[in-house]
Amino acid sequence: MSVPASTNTPTIAHKRARGPVRPFPGWAPWIFIAPFLIIFGTFILWPLLKSLLLSLEYSYGPAHTVFVGLRNYRLILGDPLFWAAVRNTCIFAAGSVFLQLPLAFGLAMLLNRRGLRWRAVYRLIFFAPYLVGLVFASLIFSFIFEKRTGLINRTLHNLLPAWNPEFPWLQEYAVITLILVALWLYVGLNMVYFLAALQHVSSDLLDAASIDGAGPWQRFRQVILPEILPVGSFVVMLSIIGSLQLFELPWVLLTNPTQPVPDERGITIVVYLYQTGFITSDLGYASAVGWLLAVVLMGIAVAQRRIVGARENA
Amino acid sequence: MTLRFTNWLSRLSPGTWVVLVLALGSSVIVFVQGKFERTGMPFWVFNKVHFTTYQPFVDRWNSEHPGTRVDMFLIQLDAFERRLLSGFTAGTPIGEILETERRVATRTFLGPEETVGFVDLADRLRDEGLLETINRPSFAPWTSRGRIYGIPHDVHPMVLCYRADLIEAAGIDLAVVETWDEFARALRPLMKDFDGDGRPDRFPLAGWPSNHLFVESLLRQGGGRYFDEDGRPEIDSDLNARLLATITTWTAGPDRICTDVPEQVASGNQMRRDGTVLCQLMPDWMVGQWKRDLPELAGKVKLMPLPAFTPGGRRTSVWGGTMLGIARNAPDFESAWAFAKALYLSPELAEVTFRGTGIITPVKSHWVLPVFSEPDPFFCGQPAGRLFIEQAPDVPVRSSSPFERLALERVKVAAIALRAYANREGKFTTEALIPEAKRLLGIARGEVQSHIDRNLFLDS
Repeated sequence: MSVPASTNTPTIAHKRARGPVRPFPGWAPWIFIAPFLIIFGTFILWPLLKSLLLSLEYSYGPAHTVFVGLRNYRLILGDPLFWAAVRNTCIFAAGSVFLQLPLAFGLAMLLNRRGLRWRAVYRLIFFAPYLVGLVFASLIFSFIFEKRTGLINRTLHNLLPAWNPEFPWLQEYAVITLILVALWLYVGLNMVYFLAALQHVSSDLLDAASIDGAGPWQRFRQVILPEILPVGSFVVMLSIIGSLQLFELPWVLLTNPTQPVPDERGITIVVYLYQTGFITSDLGYASAVGWLLAVVLMGIAVAQRRIVGARENA
Repeated sequence: MTLRFTNWLSRLSPGTWVVLVLALGSSVIVFVQGKFERTGMPFWVFNKVHFTTYQPFVDRWNSEHPGTRVDMFLIQLDAFERRLLSGFTAGTPIGEILETERRVATRTFLGPEETVGFVDLADRLRDEGLLETINRPSFAPWTSRGRIYGIPHDVHPMVLCYRADLIEAAGIDLAVVETWDEFARALRPLMKDFDGDGRPDRFPLAGWPSNHLFVESLLRQGGGRYFDEDGRPEIDSDLNARLLATITTWTAGPDRICTDVPEQVASGNQMRRDGTVLCQLMPDWMVGQWKRDLPELAGKVKLMPLPAFTPGGRRTSVWGGTMLGIARNAPDFESAWAFAKALYLSPELAEVTFRGTGIITPVKSHWVLPVFSEPDPFFCGQPAGRLFIEQAPDVPVRSSSPFERLALERVKVAAIALRAYANREGKFTTEALIPEAKRLLGIARGEVQSHIDRNLFLDS
């Protein structure tokens, strides 16, 4: 019944021998990936290399450049405004991780309760702010946080007459304002991530834990938390990276006709980059800021992968 | 084969069809439109009001000069700035006649002299007597390294606009007020707490350290400046420190007379309507805005020269500015120059611009036009144009340093910090605040100097 091996082998050899003669054997894979390589090289790799080179130059337009070595990096590290931007960005990132994410997780836990009615409606309500978009939300909140006429100050002053109606949210508490607006915008989005993770926690595991006598806290700590950890670490990383790239929110929220750029109380790293690149026209300096930011982001991504990898292997 | 293709098409979703139809439709439109054909000298403007004001003049020019037609384009200011700088530094296509404002123009002075893409008009202006015809201080923002790169569009003198209905009803005559000290003394009794919360709800003057218009205008009025004639920063001069300390006493402490009123937004306008603030520093361009945005104040407000810092001192300041320049790459400079003069030196344009925006012309010979002496019902029948023109020759001379904007920003930060210091330390007199003002302005000067030092293309 079985076919003798000797009948197949000569057939294949015969076919190979009759196949077309290829002029450049081994080139086929390169031809297939060529479109990607061309696009990647033209629009990603080449600009990256150019920006690295630009970060080592002082320039005014493409025709006037002077190689300055690491001077831009040295000047950045000695610029108090850069450190103000780093401080503000770090505070914002801390607010995102330690305020926004716990709140999002808490909401997800509430929405994940068994037998909860109108779950989809609640989910939509919490998620809806994210649909407004960053620029619109910033515009809306720039009115809400105004002195005297803003909704927040007016309401607080009406409820508590001692509240100063000229409380300078946007002027002197800029980072707190940024954190509050981001909280409103992103808590729903992060809640959806956590909710999705919670809904994938096996009910068998939870039931088994309950049968073994585990209480709510033990079930949370020993079953739910380990199950959602990969999603949690992913959301933390996204929040940190998003915070480090923060631009539109301060740019729209903290500027007005008499304050064209956010000052040191609200400046972030990317706003600082934009300001030096496109307002003071120092593209080399701005490129150097961009590369410093890229190194930090890569460091965070690598650290996150190592932490998650170590836990998964443990 | 055809059958298989038809079968494949029938499997496309409605969304895919929409995308395909849009892609094909837009491609057809692009191809049908063909290449843009220029019909005349491209003239770029950034302001919509200017664009509509100039349209009849451009139409008339084109009918009278069919061989040297002008194509006017309205370009949003940020896009204008990017395209202009790209054109000057990288040779991308730009307009030949360029109307731009101060922020953009000073940026073009940042690089080597050969990258300033405007034609140097200094010799032309001198030879044709225009340096005498046009208000001299108005050339300053367009002058860099001894060369003049544009014809000024305006002067933008500043006066004080006040709520005559509220102030005169209280029996106060501001006409006799000559200095800011007298102003504060006269109007402080009007600071009232209407809602009983222990805080005043009405203030004599709109202004705050975070407001560029407020800090810069007052520093300039008092004789302060950010750069010397050679472009070196002198932000921390004794005079600047004294002026900043004085202004801070208006915004901090028990004797403050100012409140923060946002500019050009609805909430600020509401505060003006409500009488939360009684007076406002007003450059001429703000007149048109108020008439459009605050029609309820018609017949309730009046104008007067700014109170001086010292008796006999300057009674005005300046804010903003626009110029008309000609690109170096313009193939027909003479025609562009002829058009620029025909437009900017036109008495009709001076009249139309004033009627539409309140902006007075820098052409001194036009200041006698009757339009500037007409009573203005918005300002209780005062001749608004005349009031601005009286101050025009005295407007402060401004620097064209490309670091001017940075200096403004850093001085603003110093002003905010000084106010915080005053509140923290309980120091609310000018003399007590001067040392800290000097220190903060010194930091600002250092930061601006470090930016200047970074620039390898400027001599100083």
